[in-house]
Amino acid sequence: MGRLAMVGFAAAAVLIAGATAAQAKPGHRVGFDIRPANTSGSVDLGKRGDYRIGLSMPTDRVAIFYVSGSKVKGDRGGFFSNAYAVHNRRSLTRGAIRARLGSLGTISLRFRPNGRVRKRRPQQGCEGRPSITEYGRFVGRATFHGESGYLHFSLPGGAGDITRSFRLSCEEDEPFDLTRGSLRAYVAPGSFFATRGDIALLYATTHNHGRYVGITAGHQEESPPGAVVRIGILESKEAMAIGRYSFVLGPPGTLRTSLPGVHPANATLAPPAPFFGKATYREEPADARSWTGTLGINLLGLKLPLVGSRFHTRLCVLNPLKTRDGCDFFKAEPPLYGRPARLGTILR
Amino acid sequence: MRLRCVAAAALALACLPEGAGAAVGHDWPGRQLTRIELEGSNGYSILISSDRKQHLLLQTTKEGFTTEYRTRDALAGPYRTKATLPGLGSISVRFHPHGPARRPPAFAGCVGPRPTVRKGVVRGAIRFVGERDYTQAVTHEAPAEIEEWKSQRCRGGANPEQDGPNLEEWTSKFSAWRPGIEFLARKYRPGALEGGSRVLYLAETAEAASEFASFVIYRRATVLAPTLTFADAHPEHTIISPPPPFAGTGTFVRTPESVFAWEGDLSIQFPGTDPLPLTGPHFELDYCLREMGCIRQRLPPGDYFQSR
Repeated sequence: MGRLAMVGFAAAAVLIAGATAAQAKPGHRVGFDIRPANTSGSVDLGKRGDYRIGLSMPTDRVAIFYVSGSKVKGDRGGFFSNAYAVHNRRSLTRGAIRARLGSLGTISLRFRPNGRVRKRRPQQGCEGRPSITEYGRFVGRATFHGESGYLHFSLPGGAGDITRSFRLSCEEDEPFDLTRGSLRAYVAPGSFFATRGDIALLYATTHNHGRYVGITAGHQEESPPGAVVRIGILESKEAMAIGRYSFVLGPPGTLRTSLPGVHPANATLAPPAPFFGKATYREEPADARSWTGTLGINLLGLKLPLVGSRFHTRLCVLNPLKTRDGCDFFKAEPPLYGRPARLGTILR
Repeated sequence: MRLRCVAAAALALACLPEGAGAAVGHDWPGRQLTRIELEGSNGYSILISSDRKQHLLLQTTKEGFTTEYRTRDALAGPYRTKATLPGLGSISVRFHPHGPARRPPAFAGCVGPRPTVRKGVVRGAIRFVGERDYTQAVTHEAPAEIEEWKSQRCRGGANPEQDGPNLEEWTSKFSAWRPGIEFLARKYRPGALEGGSRVLYLAETAEAASEFASFVIYRRATVLAPTLTFADAHPEHTIISPPPPFAGTGTFVRTPESVFAWEGDLSIQFPGTDPLPLTGPHFELDYCLREMGCIRQRLPPGDYFQSR
């Protein structure tokens, strides 16, 4: 189950990583980046049924409402989350959040510190003043009515914190500033799709009417029978960027592929819930591929078919002796797809 | 001589701190070993070794089979050895030296005083009956010797008891392991092994035959074979058919789920035991090509306990 928790954490970390990335500016000194001062925060809205809900504010003017959960049965299980990124109409620096989640809800909260303060030194490789985190409660009202009624609540706020970080000079070891103000980048799949070490990997993506859908099903070298299946859906709606993710540790039989050197290559994918149905991949002559079947998914507030000719598909089955790093999802990704280009390779 | 060396090495390793043998420039501790050589029934050779740290090893060998019975409950003095091998026999002897002590050459790769070897006989009672009577030895007197050496300083990789060719020079190898059982196949370049053979097969088991593993039985079989018995031209579909004492065939194959499976009816029958299957789903697998790397298939975490 450690693996499940790790991947779940990685998915959640996408938001945090995106938030951090948004703060950076080009460096002034060779080999150094200047990271501007920033205010970030979080609100824990607790649990509603099977869901953990809360707010993450990566900057003064962006709020991300998230709903997440996990289901575990024996050594199998899955993680799912929805993230809604919106602009904050007030200033978090002044302790205020006011945002509209389209037709789904509103957030109007004000921070009340409880006196607890914690200072943190800049991370390794950075120079500057320590950040200051104030703890307390956000009070006011947060309401939400999830798509298709998957979740309803009206809450008076919850425990939270605000962190003020100061201008830092950091060694230029990682690229930054990927989001450039785009809300979509805050909820993009990013490292959620890290596939390093997979020796069999099937993926399907589509970009249709502003909605990006990406699925990967991979089997890691050395691991027991079964496959890890991940899906990320990214779309913009009513001034929101919505990212939906799910991954499951599928049981034996989830992913079956032809072996290296077999032509035409083929595969079947039959993951457990929240997926349903089965898909068949087959390489055809003239570099064509078919992706057919009944595969679909029931995510929070969204039911989607996941097969059809609109999907771009690829299958990678490697001999681990010949390629030590496994299949590279990003290398095969078409460059013009709507997903933020190669975000994952930078964040992972 | 080789038998003596192997037995001594086995006992020596049991007394060393973990990793000591692999250290660069390590100390090989001084010790005193009593060795008794016997002839068992059915053509088996029996070697009994004991040191002064309550370790006793009784080793039976015949052709490619070796069975080691190790106890950590022996009583040992300078010239006295006493031990019980539960259900298999007992040893209670006293060493009587004959003639002057000998000073063999120093160990290769090591610096330290030369060892001392004192020949003689042991007198008392030795009774050993192997499982299902595969061999037995009952005697009141047997030739023996005591070898003693002081601490040795050995260069990296050197081992006072090392003997035979360097078996690490393989070109490809396969191993299947589960708690208590290991099967190994190694392919070598022409000329590395004796008799024109190019593949070495080894099966080994360990069985704790008493509480707290103070009495452990190791069974080992080795055999050399021609290269065609290890068909790994397609590493993801390797067929292994070792000659007797092994029986049957094992196949290392990648399944449509990209799991590497170890299938077939390969087995081995050690002296005094039932045939032991060497294939199945509960083995951890490694296939390695020296120039390219390894394919590994790990056990699910629960299998480390279930397969015991």
